Amino acid sequence: MKKIIVACGSGVATSQTVASKVKDLCEKKGLRVQVEAINIRNLEAHIKNCDMYISITPYEKKDYGVPVVSGIPFLTGVGLDVAMKQIEEVLRK
Amino acid sequence: MTMATTNHTLLHPELVLLDVMAFNQEELLRELSSQLLSKGYVKDSFADAVIAREKTFPTGLVTSGVCVAIPHTDAIHVVKPGILIANLREPVIFKEMGNGVNDIKVEIIFLLAINKPESQIGVLKKLMNIFSKADVLLELKHAKSVLETLEILNQEIA
Repeated sequence: MKKIIVACGSGVATSQTVASKVKDLCEKKGLRVQVEAINIRNLEAHIKNCDMYISITPYEKKDYGVPVVSGIPFLTGVGLDVAMKQIEEVLRK
Repeated sequence: MTMATTNHTLLHPELVLLDVMAFNQEELLRELSSQLLSKGYVKDSFADAVIAREKTFPTGLVTSGVCVAIPHTDAIHVVKPGILIANLREPVIFKEMGNGVNDIKVEIIFLLAINKPESQIGVLKKLMNIFSKADVLLELKHAKSVLETLEILNQEIA
């Protein structure tokens, strides 16, 4: 099963909420995926073992080795279709 | 479902503030945190922690309706969970979440005192769903009383 990580500053509220929402939306589309909320401090350790990184903090534009998508659309609904499409592409690969 | 109970433990009339005025973000967060402190929701370390976190990981959100912010910090600063809602008289500038560069004019604050995200995730998700509903955000913005504000929120979150 593919794995997506969501990182925020505390790993408390926003990353867990986004993670849960992404999981719900994927399930609705029949996509099986593991979505894990992590603290950004542990990003380096987790990013090696995932297929995609959803960012909800300011992040360096560098090569993370996996596709990166903004998680903000999952909080505001603005740009949600585009973000979901990017996730779907990765999961269907 | 335990959602209803969870919901009622997060929304409280004493945590709905209308017509809130502040000159800047730090003053606002300090004032709102002191409300949470005096009502027993957070420790006195909460204010500094939430202000510091907002600088590194800003939480302003541009929505299709009213811009909002969801400041929060680590669970260790929280005594009991609650969501403080502050309807601002004049917008206060927050940085945009996710990019940290753009200034946005925030009109409603949802200050989150969260200590057990696993059990509070249901309410948080529903709260975030409100952010994609422009009409509900405008209703909230124009709510004239605490009761009206809670009715709108309960309808969405219940």
